[in-house]
Amino acid sequence: MHRSSVIILIADFALALMMMHTARRRRTSERLVFGWLIVCAVIAALAIWREAIDVLAAALDVHYPPSALFLIAFAGLIAIVFKLSTELAEDRRRLRRLAQELALLSATAPGPQKDRDE
Amino acid sequence: MPGSMGDVRMMKPSSDQVVVFILAFNEEASIGALVCETRAKLPDATIVVVDDGSVDATAARASAAGAWVLRHPFNLGVAASEATGLKYAKRGGHRIAVRLDGDGQHDPAFVSELVAQLSHADLVVGARSQDAKGYRATGLRLIGARYLAFVTRLLSGSRITDVTSGFRAFGPAAIAYFSEHVPNDYPEPESIVMAARAGLRVTEVPVLMRRRETGASSLTFLRSMYYMAKVSFALVLETLRAPTRT
Repeated sequence: MHRSSVIILIADFALALMMMHTARRRRTSERLVFGWLIVCAVIAALAIWREAIDVLAAALDVHYPPSALFLIAFAGLIAIVFKLSTELAEDRRRLRRLAQELALLSATAPGPQKDRDE
Repeated sequence: MPGSMGDVRMMKPSSDQVVVFILAFNEEASIGALVCETRAKLPDATIVVVDDGSVDATAARASAAGAWVLRHPFNLGVAASEATGLKYAKRGGHRIAVRLDGDGQHDPAFVSELVAQLSHADLVVGARSQDAKGYRATGLRLIGARYLAFVTRLLSGSRITDVTSGFRAFGPAAIAYFSEHVPNDYPEPESIVMAARAGLRVTEVPVLMRRRETGASSLTFLRSMYYMAKVSFALVLETLRAPTRT
């Protein structure tokens, strides 16, 4: 096995461990971590079976195999960012509704009131 | 909580009463006087201040001046603040709601003129009168306002000349619609397009705008251009959405 493959596998394993650790501490959701573990598995597979990159490049008609890898990685990142953007927008909508409900439920009548910081 | 209403759904419906809701964000310098002025000019109206996450004494000053106060726990923006005011009106059973901005630009004396137009419209916009002696937009701001009015008319057919004005009166249908359908980023022009697409009748009446009593505009030439581009995009996007009916 090439030295670079070993380095990638070690880094990949560390990434997977870090993801598991964040999930265990509830700093991210299992659903997201599962997706990242699949990414780690794909990276490990490509590190072990390096010819797969050549096969992928040929299938995509890309003459320089590493470019095919960058293309796939870039497309994956775009997909993840898009997904997070839509989730962020949905969360903003939910947060706005919650804040509005809170404002309505804690409406205060006219009269002397304390300042917020007091 | 002293003075807490607990749940606005418990309010006794008072459909004849106009709700005037004032949007305020860090307006402690002007909000008290504005509430007092509104109370003096509209003694029968329910006055509500929507405090959009102010960190100063806006809520306390508004309450002390005689207004109900709805406080967002953090800043949500103008569109959400307007929707909060309309939700209050809807749940309280009010059939007419009027929006004023907390910076003092909108003169409560014109509220009755806006409300009078609700007999044949669902949404009435108080438009800056270019013929009157009050504050008038000039230069870049005027060009921008006319451009946005043109784009809005093109996309919705509404003949509103001042689509950026936040001085508005809402009838029952507009209260029901805009308390649930919140424009995304540029509430004033977007809501005109939304209203037209929802089948609401929109009209305007000329009003005198005052200079804002506190704060200053942050619009520069580049920001104005960027703002126009963003609003235009948002308006086009609005027409691409599936129409939502009242």
